[in-house]
Amino acid sequence: MSHLTDLGGGRARLVTGLDGPVADVAAELARLAAGEAPSVAAIAGRCAGPAFQLALACDLRLAAAGASFSAEGVGDVAACARRLARLLGEARAKDVLLTGRTFDAAEALRLGVVTRVVPAARLDDEARAAAELIAARPPLAVRAARRAIARVRDLAPAEALAEEHEHFRRLLRSRDHQAAVAASVARRAPVFTGE
Amino acid sequence: MGENAQTRWWRQDGVGYVVIDNPPMNVLSDVNRRGMLEALGEFQRDGVRAVVLTGAGDRAFCGGADLKEEERLTPETVQQFLRRGQEVNRTIRELDAPVIAAINGWTMGGGLVLALWCDLRVGSTRAKLGAVGVKVGLMASNVQLARLVPEARARDALLTGRTLEAAEALAWGLLSAVVPPEELLREATAWARRIAARPAALVAEAKRALNRALEPEPGA
Repeated sequence: MSHLTDLGGGRARLVTGLDGPVADVAAELARLAAGEAPSVAAIAGRCAGPAFQLALACDLRLAAAGASFSAEGVGDVAACARRLARLLGEARAKDVLLTGRTFDAAEALRLGVVTRVVPAARLDDEARAAAELIAARPPLAVRAARRAIARVRDLAPAEALAEEHEHFRRLLRSRDHQAAVAASVARRAPVFTGE
Repeated sequence: MGENAQTRWWRQDGVGYVVIDNPPMNVLSDVNRRGMLEALGEFQRDGVRAVVLTGAGDRAFCGGADLKEEERLTPETVQQFLRRGQEVNRTIRELDAPVIAAINGWTMGGGLVLALWCDLRVGSTRAKLGAVGVKVGLMASNVQLARLVPEARARDALLTGRTLEAAEALAWGLLSAVVPPEELLREATAWARRIAARPAALVAEAKRALNRALEPEPGA
Protein backbone atom coordinates (compact mmCIF):
# COMPACT_ATOMS: atom_id res chain seq x y z
CA MET A 1 0.00 0.00 0.00
CA SER A 2 1.24 3.45 -0.86
CA HIS A 3 1.97 5.96 1.85
CA LEU A 4 1.35 9.73 1.59
CA THR A 5 3.26 12.29 3.65
CA ASP A 6 2.12 15.92 3.64
CA LEU A 7 4.93 18.46 3.43
CA GLY A 8 5.05 22.23 3.83
CA GLY A 9 1.66 22.41 5.53
CA GLY A 10 0.03 20.31 2.83
CA ARG A 11 1.49 22.20 -0.15
CA ALA A 12 3.13 19.07 -1.54
CA ARG A 13 3.07 15.33 -0.89
CA LEU A 14 5.65 12.60 -0.80
CA VAL A 15 4.41 9.21 -1.99
CA THR A 16 6.26 6.03 -0.96
CA GLY A 17 5.51 2.32 -0.84
CA LEU A 18 4.98 2.05 -4.61
CA ASP A 19 6.84 -1.26 -4.78
CA GLY A 20 4.33 -3.31 -2.83
CA PRO A 21 0.88 -4.79 -3.42
CA VAL A 22 -2.07 -2.43 -3.84
CA ALA A 23 -5.29 -3.68 -2.31
CA ASP A 24 -7.70 -1.07 -3.67
CA VAL A 25 -6.23 0.94 -6.52
CA ALA A 26 -9.35 3.08 -6.99
CA ALA A 27 -9.34 4.15 -3.35
CA GLU A 28 -5.64 4.97 -3.45
CA LEU A 29 -6.02 6.94 -6.70
CA ALA A 30 -8.85 8.90 -5.11
CA ARG A 31 -6.70 9.63 -2.07
CA LEU A 32 -3.94 10.89 -4.39
CA ALA A 33 -6.30 13.04 -6.43
CA ALA A 34 -7.89 14.67 -3.36
CA GLY A 35 -6.83 18.27 -2.84
CA GLU A 36 -4.54 20.21 -5.13
CA ALA A 37 -1.15 19.42 -3.65
CA PRO A 38 1.41 18.16 -6.18
CA SER A 39 2.82 14.73 -5.37
CA VAL A 40 6.35 13.37 -5.69
CA ALA A 41 6.74 9.59 -5.93
CA ALA A 42 9.83 7.92 -4.48
CA ILE A 43 10.13 4.52 -6.17
CA ALA A 44 12.49 2.12 -4.44
CA GLY A 45 11.88 -1.39 -5.81
CA ARG A 46 9.68 -3.16 -8.33
CA CYS A 47 6.84 -0.88 -9.40
CA ALA A 48 4.36 -2.83 -11.51
CA GLY A 49 0.65 -3.14 -12.26
CA PRO A 50 -1.58 -1.10 -9.94
CA ALA A 51 1.45 0.44 -8.18
CA PHE A 52 2.74 1.57 -11.58
CA GLN A 53 -0.62 3.17 -12.26
CA LEU A 54 -0.43 5.00 -8.91
CA ALA A 55 3.09 6.21 -9.70
CA LEU A 56 1.89 7.60 -13.02
CA ALA A 57 -0.80 9.57 -11.19
CA CYS A 58 1.89 11.51 -9.28
CA ASP A 59 3.32 14.78 -10.58
CA LEU A 60 6.98 13.80 -10.32
CA ARG A 61 8.69 10.43 -10.08
CA LEU A 62 12.15 9.74 -8.68
CA ALA A 63 13.62 6.25 -8.65
CA ALA A 64 16.37 4.43 -6.79
CA ALA A 65 19.05 3.02 -9.07
CA GLY A 66 17.79 -0.52 -8.42
CA ALA A 67 14.11 0.16 -9.14
CA SER A 68 12.28 -1.58 -11.98
CA PHE A 69 9.01 -0.92 -13.75
CA SER A 70 6.31 -2.71 -15.70
CA ALA A 71 2.83 -1.85 -16.92
CA GLU A 72 1.86 -5.53 -16.75
CA GLY A 73 -1.28 -5.95 -14.66
CA VAL A 74 -2.56 -2.38 -14.63
CA GLY A 75 -6.28 -2.58 -13.97
CA ASP A 76 -7.64 0.35 -15.93
CA VAL A 77 -5.95 0.08 -19.31
CA ALA A 78 -7.81 3.03 -20.84
CA ALA A 79 -6.85 5.44 -18.05
CA CYS A 80 -3.31 4.17 -18.07
CA ALA A 81 -3.02 4.58 -21.84
CA ARG A 82 -4.22 8.15 -21.65
CA ARG A 83 -1.86 9.01 -18.83
CA LEU A 84 1.14 7.29 -20.43
CA ALA A 85 0.62 8.94 -23.81
CA ARG A 86 0.60 12.35 -22.15
CA LEU A 87 3.50 11.66 -19.84
CA LEU A 88 5.84 10.00 -22.34
CA GLY A 89 4.56 10.74 -25.84
CA GLU A 90 2.69 8.22 -27.96
CA ALA A 91 5.62 6.18 -29.27
CA ARG A 92 6.99 5.40 -25.82
CA ALA A 93 3.54 4.89 -24.33
CA LYS A 94 2.86 2.14 -26.86
CA ASP A 95 6.15 0.46 -26.11
CA VAL A 96 5.51 0.42 -22.36
CA LEU A 97 1.84 -0.53 -22.40
CA LEU A 98 1.67 -2.94 -25.34
CA THR A 99 4.71 -4.99 -24.35
CA GLY A 100 4.27 -4.83 -20.58
CA ARG A 101 8.02 -5.45 -20.46
CA THR A 102 10.10 -4.77 -17.36
CA PHE A 103 12.59 -1.93 -17.59
CA ASP A 104 15.19 -0.70 -15.13
CA ALA A 105 15.66 2.75 -13.59
CA ALA A 106 18.16 3.91 -16.21
CA GLU A 107 15.72 3.11 -19.00
CA ALA A 108 12.86 4.69 -17.03
CA LEU A 109 14.93 7.88 -17.02
CA ARG A 110 15.53 7.71 -20.78
CA LEU A 111 11.85 7.02 -21.43
CA GLY A 112 10.85 9.91 -19.18
CA VAL A 113 8.87 7.67 -16.78
CA VAL A 114 11.01 9.15 -14.00
CA THR A 115 12.92 12.42 -14.18
CA ARG A 116 15.66 11.49 -11.71
CA VAL A 117 17.51 8.36 -10.61
CA VAL A 118 19.51 8.45 -7.39
CA PRO A 119 21.38 5.87 -5.24
CA ALA A 120 18.92 3.86 -3.11
CA ALA A 121 20.30 5.31 0.13
CA ARG A 122 19.57 8.84 -1.09
CA LEU A 123 16.10 8.23 -2.52
CA ASP A 124 13.96 9.36 0.42
CA ASP A 125 16.01 12.49 1.04
CA GLU A 126 16.09 13.49 -2.64
CA ALA A 127 12.37 12.89 -3.17
CA ARG A 128 11.55 14.76 0.02
CA ALA A 129 13.78 17.64 -1.10
CA ALA A 130 11.98 17.78 -4.47
CA ALA A 131 8.59 17.85 -2.73
CA GLU A 132 9.80 20.53 -0.32
CA LEU A 133 11.09 22.59 -3.26
CA ILE A 134 7.59 22.57 -4.74
CA ALA A 135 6.03 23.27 -1.32
CA ALA A 136 8.28 26.34 -1.03
CA ARG A 137 7.06 27.85 -4.33
CA PRO A 138 4.19 30.37 -4.36
CA PRO A 139 1.04 28.21 -4.07
CA LEU A 140 -1.06 30.17 -6.57
CA ALA A 141 1.59 29.81 -9.26
CA VAL A 142 2.05 26.09 -8.56
CA ARG A 143 -1.70 25.50 -8.74
CA ALA A 144 -1.99 27.53 -11.95
CA ALA A 145 0.93 25.69 -13.57
CA ARG A 146 -0.54 22.34 -12.60
CA ARG A 147 -3.97 23.18 -14.01
CA ALA A 148 -2.51 24.63 -17.18
CA ILE A 149 -0.34 21.56 -17.80
CA ALA A 150 -3.33 19.28 -17.36
CA ARG A 151 -5.33 21.29 -19.91
CA VAL A 152 -2.70 22.17 -22.47
CA ARG A 153 -3.23 19.14 -24.66
CA ASP A 154 -7.00 19.57 -24.70
CA LEU A 155 -6.71 23.04 -26.22
CA ALA A 156 -5.58 24.40 -29.55
CA PRO A 157 -2.19 26.11 -29.05
CA ALA A 158 -3.64 29.61 -29.49
CA GLU A 159 -6.28 28.96 -26.84
CA ALA A 160 -3.71 27.47 -24.48
CA LEU A 161 -1.54 30.54 -24.92
CA ALA A 162 -4.47 32.87 -24.26
CA GLU A 163 -5.09 30.97 -21.02
CA GLU A 164 -1.44 31.23 -20.06
CA HIS A 165 -1.57 35.01 -20.54
CA GLU A 166 -4.73 35.17 -18.47
CA HIS A 167 -2.94 33.32 -15.65
CA PHE A 168 0.05 35.66 -16.05
CA ARG A 169 -2.08 38.80 -15.68
CA ARG A 170 -3.80 37.41 -12.61
CA LEU A 171 -0.58 36.18 -10.98
CA LEU A 172 1.17 39.49 -11.65
CA ARG A 173 -1.28 41.12 -9.24
CA SER A 174 -0.80 38.47 -6.53
CA ARG A 175 0.87 39.32 -3.23
CA ASP A 176 3.22 36.39 -3.61
CA HIS A 177 4.60 37.71 -6.88
CA GLN A 178 5.14 41.12 -5.31
CA ALA A 179 6.83 39.44 -2.35
CA ALA A 180 9.12 37.53 -4.75
CA VAL A 181 10.15 40.72 -6.57
CA ALA A 182 10.72 42.61 -3.30
CA ALA A 183 12.78 39.72 -1.90
CA SER A 184 14.84 39.52 -5.09
CA VAL A 185 15.62 43.27 -4.94
CA ALA A 186 16.49 43.01 -1.22
CA ARG A 187 18.44 39.75 -1.80
CA ARG A 188 16.59 37.79 0.86
CA ALA A 189 14.35 34.71 0.85
CA PRO A 190 10.70 35.48 0.07
CA VAL A 191 7.82 34.43 2.32
CA PHE A 192 4.74 33.25 0.43
CA THR A 193 1.24 33.33 1.86
CA GLY A 194 -0.73 31.91 -1.03
CA GLU A 195 -2.42 35.22 -1.81
CA MET B 1 23.05 44.58 -40.80
CA GLY B 2 21.95 46.84 -37.98
CA GLU B 3 21.96 47.50 -34.30
CA ASN B 4 20.24 49.36 -31.50
CA ALA B 5 21.43 50.03 -27.96
CA GLN B 6 21.03 46.39 -26.84
CA THR B 7 20.70 44.31 -30.00
CA ARG B 8 22.97 43.61 -32.98
CA TRP B 9 22.22 41.78 -36.21
CA TRP B 10 23.91 40.96 -39.50
CA ARG B 11 23.94 38.49 -42.40
CA GLN B 12 26.64 36.20 -43.61
CA ASP B 13 26.43 33.55 -46.34
CA GLY B 14 22.64 33.40 -46.33
CA VAL B 15 22.42 33.09 -42.54
CA GLY B 16 21.05 35.89 -40.35
CA TYR B 17 22.50 36.47 -36.88
CA VAL B 18 20.81 38.28 -33.98
CA VAL B 19 22.62 38.96 -30.70
CA ILE B 20 20.90 40.07 -27.49
CA ASP B 21 23.50 42.36 -25.95
CA ASN B 22 22.25 43.60 -22.61
CA PRO B 23 24.96 42.70 -20.09
CA PRO B 24 25.52 41.10 -17.70
CA MET B 25 22.54 38.70 -17.97
CA ASN B 26 21.01 39.80 -21.29
CA VAL B 27 17.65 40.47 -19.69
CA LEU B 28 15.01 41.08 -22.30
CA SER B 29 14.13 44.75 -22.60
CA ASP B 30 11.71 46.46 -24.90
CA VAL B 31 14.78 47.72 -26.79
CA ASN B 32 15.69 44.05 -27.46
CA ARG B 33 12.17 43.21 -28.54
CA ARG B 34 12.15 46.10 -31.01
CA GLY B 35 15.63 45.16 -32.24
CA MET B 36 14.64 41.54 -32.80
CA LEU B 37 11.49 42.56 -34.66
CA GLU B 38 13.48 44.88 -36.92
CA ALA B 39 16.15 42.26 -37.57
CA LEU B 40 13.66 39.45 -38.31
CA GLY B 41 11.64 41.74 -40.59
CA GLU B 42 14.79 42.57 -42.50
CA PHE B 43 15.77 38.88 -42.77
CA GLN B 44 12.31 37.93 -44.07
CA ARG B 45 12.42 40.68 -46.74
CA ASP B 46 15.95 39.68 -47.78
CA GLY B 47 15.11 35.98 -48.06
CA VAL B 48 17.53 34.82 -45.38
CA ARG B 49 17.41 31.00 -45.28
CA ALA B 50 18.18 30.40 -41.60
CA VAL B 51 18.66 32.54 -38.49
CA VAL B 52 20.88 32.13 -35.43
CA LEU B 53 19.76 33.89 -32.24
CA THR B 54 22.19 34.12 -29.31
CA GLY B 55 23.18 36.19 -26.28
CA ALA B 56 26.33 38.31 -25.98
CA GLY B 57 29.14 37.06 -23.75
CA ASP B 58 29.40 33.61 -22.20
CA ARG B 59 27.22 34.07 -19.14
CA ALA B 60 23.67 34.19 -20.42
CA PHE B 61 21.57 33.56 -23.51
CA CYS B 62 18.77 35.59 -21.97
CA GLY B 63 18.07 36.04 -18.27
CA GLY B 64 14.37 36.67 -18.81
CA ALA B 65 12.16 39.69 -18.62
CA ASP B 66 13.56 42.82 -17.02
CA LEU B 67 12.18 42.67 -13.45
CA LYS B 68 12.45 46.46 -13.18
CA GLU B 69 10.41 46.89 -16.34
CA GLU B 70 7.97 44.28 -15.11
CA GLU B 71 7.64 45.88 -11.68
CA ARG B 72 6.27 49.02 -13.32
CA LEU B 73 3.54 47.11 -15.16
CA THR B 74 -0.01 48.22 -14.49
CA PRO B 75 -3.17 46.43 -15.58
CA GLU B 76 -3.09 48.70 -18.65
CA THR B 77 0.57 48.21 -19.61
CA VAL B 78 0.67 44.47 -18.92
CA GLN B 79 -1.42 43.98 -22.03
CA GLN B 80 1.12 45.90 -24.10
CA PHE B 81 4.01 43.95 -22.45
CA LEU B 82 2.42 40.61 -23.28
CA ARG B 83 1.47 41.75 -26.77
CA ARG B 84 5.00 42.91 -27.61
CA GLY B 85 6.52 39.68 -26.28
CA GLN B 86 4.01 37.68 -28.25
CA GLU B 87 4.75 39.73 -31.38
CA VAL B 88 8.40 38.62 -31.18
CA ASN B 89 7.43 34.99 -30.61
CA ARG B 90 4.93 35.02 -33.45
CA THR B 91 7.45 36.65 -35.79
CA ILE B 92 9.97 33.90 -35.03
CA ARG B 93 7.28 31.31 -35.65
CA GLU B 94 5.98 32.85 -38.86
CA LEU B 95 9.36 33.62 -40.37
CA ASP B 96 9.95 31.35 -43.38
CA ALA B 97 13.49 30.68 -42.24
CA PRO B 98 14.00 28.37 -39.25
CA VAL B 99 15.43 30.14 -36.19
CA ILE B 100 18.16 28.37 -34.23
CA ALA B 101 18.80 29.48 -30.65
CA ALA B 102 22.47 29.20 -29.73
CA ILE B 103 22.16 28.78 -25.95
CA ASN B 104 25.40 30.12 -24.51
CA GLY B 105 24.49 30.27 -20.80
CA TRP B 106 21.59 31.06 -18.46
CA THR B 107 18.20 30.88 -20.16
CA MET B 108 15.48 31.69 -17.66
CA GLY B 109 11.84 32.75 -17.52
CA GLY B 110 11.10 34.96 -20.51
CA GLY B 111 14.49 33.95 -21.94
CA LEU B 112 13.38 30.32 -21.91
CA VAL B 113 10.11 31.30 -23.57
CA LEU B 114 12.11 32.97 -26.35
CA ALA B 115 14.39 29.95 -26.77
CA LEU B 116 11.42 27.56 -26.87
CA TRP B 117 9.72 29.56 -29.61
CA CYS B 118 12.79 29.06 -31.78
CA ASP B 119 12.71 26.09 -34.15
CA LEU B 120 15.88 24.45 -32.90
CA ARG B 121 18.22 24.89 -29.95
CA VAL B 122 21.87 24.02 -29.72
CA GLY B 123 23.74 24.68 -26.49
CA SER B 124 27.16 25.09 -25.03
CA THR B 125 28.16 23.04 -22.01
CA ARG B 126 27.39 26.20 -20.00
CA ALA B 127 23.74 26.21 -21.05
CA LYS B 128 21.35 26.29 -18.08
CA LEU B 129 17.61 26.28 -18.67
CA GLY B 130 15.10 27.27 -16.00
CA ALA B 131 11.32 27.65 -16.15
CA VAL B 132 11.62 30.03 -13.22
CA GLY B 133 8.20 31.67 -13.54
CA VAL B 134 6.86 29.56 -10.68
CA LYS B 135 9.69 30.74 -8.40
CA VAL B 136 8.43 34.31 -8.58
CA GLY B 137 4.77 33.41 -8.53
CA LEU B 138 4.16 33.78 -12.25
CA MET B 139 3.54 31.55 -15.23
CA ALA B 140 5.70 31.46 -18.34
CA SER B 141 6.70 28.87 -20.96
CA ASN B 142 3.95 26.49 -19.84
CA VAL B 143 2.42 26.06 -23.25
CA GLN B 144 5.69 25.92 -25.20
CA LEU B 145 7.37 23.50 -22.82
CA ALA B 146 4.32 21.25 -22.72
CA ARG B 147 4.35 21.14 -26.54
CA LEU B 148 8.05 20.38 -26.84
CA VAL B 149 8.47 17.73 -24.15
CA PRO B 150 6.06 15.09 -22.86
CA GLU B 151 4.08 15.95 -19.76
CA ALA B 152 6.16 14.00 -17.22
CA ARG B 153 9.18 16.20 -17.92
CA ALA B 154 7.14 19.39 -18.29
CA ARG B 155 5.65 18.83 -14.83
CA ASP B 156 9.08 18.44 -13.27
CA ALA B 157 10.50 21.60 -14.89
CA LEU B 158 7.41 23.77 -14.41
CA LEU B 159 6.47 22.78 -10.85
CA THR B 160 9.96 22.87 -9.35
CA GLY B 161 11.42 25.71 -11.44
CA ARG B 162 14.75 23.89 -11.12
CA THR B 163 17.71 24.40 -13.43
CA LEU B 164 18.23 21.96 -16.30
CA GLU B 165 21.91 21.64 -17.11
CA ALA B 166 23.01 21.17 -20.73
CA ALA B 167 23.29 17.36 -20.51
CA GLU B 168 19.77 16.97 -19.11
CA ALA B 169 18.33 19.41 -21.66
CA LEU B 170 20.01 17.34 -24.39
CA ALA B 171 18.53 14.10 -22.99
CA TRP B 172 15.10 15.74 -22.94
CA GLY B 173 15.44 16.85 -26.56
CA LEU B 174 15.28 20.54 -25.66
CA LEU B 175 18.79 20.91 -27.04
CA SER B 176 19.70 19.16 -30.30
CA ALA B 177 23.45 19.33 -29.65
CA VAL B 178 25.82 20.39 -26.87
CA VAL B 179 29.36 21.61 -27.62
CA PRO B 180 32.14 23.45 -25.74
CA PRO B 181 31.47 27.22 -25.40
CA GLU B 182 34.14 28.24 -27.91
CA GLU B 183 32.52 26.02 -30.58
CA LEU B 184 28.90 27.10 -30.07
CA LEU B 185 28.60 29.75 -32.78
CA ARG B 186 30.35 27.48 -35.27
CA GLU B 187 27.98 24.62 -34.35
CA ALA B 188 24.88 26.83 -34.65
CA THR B 189 26.17 28.11 -37.99
CA ALA B 190 26.66 24.52 -39.20
CA TRP B 191 23.02 23.71 -38.32
CA ALA B 192 21.89 26.91 -40.05
CA ARG B 193 23.90 26.17 -43.20
CA ARG B 194 22.62 22.60 -43.34
CA ILE B 195 19.09 24.03 -43.37
CA ALA B 196 20.02 26.87 -45.74
CA ALA B 197 21.34 24.31 -48.25
CA ARG B 198 17.91 22.66 -48.54
CA PRO B 199 15.21 24.01 -50.90
CA ALA B 200 13.84 27.12 -49.16
CA ALA B 201 10.21 26.53 -50.17
CA LEU B 202 10.33 22.98 -48.83
CA VAL B 203 11.84 24.10 -45.53
CA ALA B 204 9.25 26.88 -45.15
CA GLU B 205 6.42 24.45 -45.92
CA ALA B 206 7.74 21.94 -43.38
CA LYS B 207 8.04 24.67 -40.76
CA ARG B 208 4.45 25.83 -41.36
CA ALA B 209 3.20 22.24 -41.20
CA LEU B 210 5.05 21.61 -37.93
CA ASN B 211 3.67 24.85 -36.48
CA ARG B 212 0.19 23.47 -37.13
CA ALA B 213 0.94 19.88 -36.22
CA LEU B 214 -0.64 20.06 -32.77
CA GLU B 215 -3.73 21.94 -33.88
CA PRO B 216 -6.90 19.84 -33.75
CA GLU B 217 -7.49 17.95 -37.02
CA PRO B 218 -9.84 19.83 -39.34
CA GLY B 219 -13.28 18.28 -39.00
CA ALA B 220 -12.19 16.14 -36.05
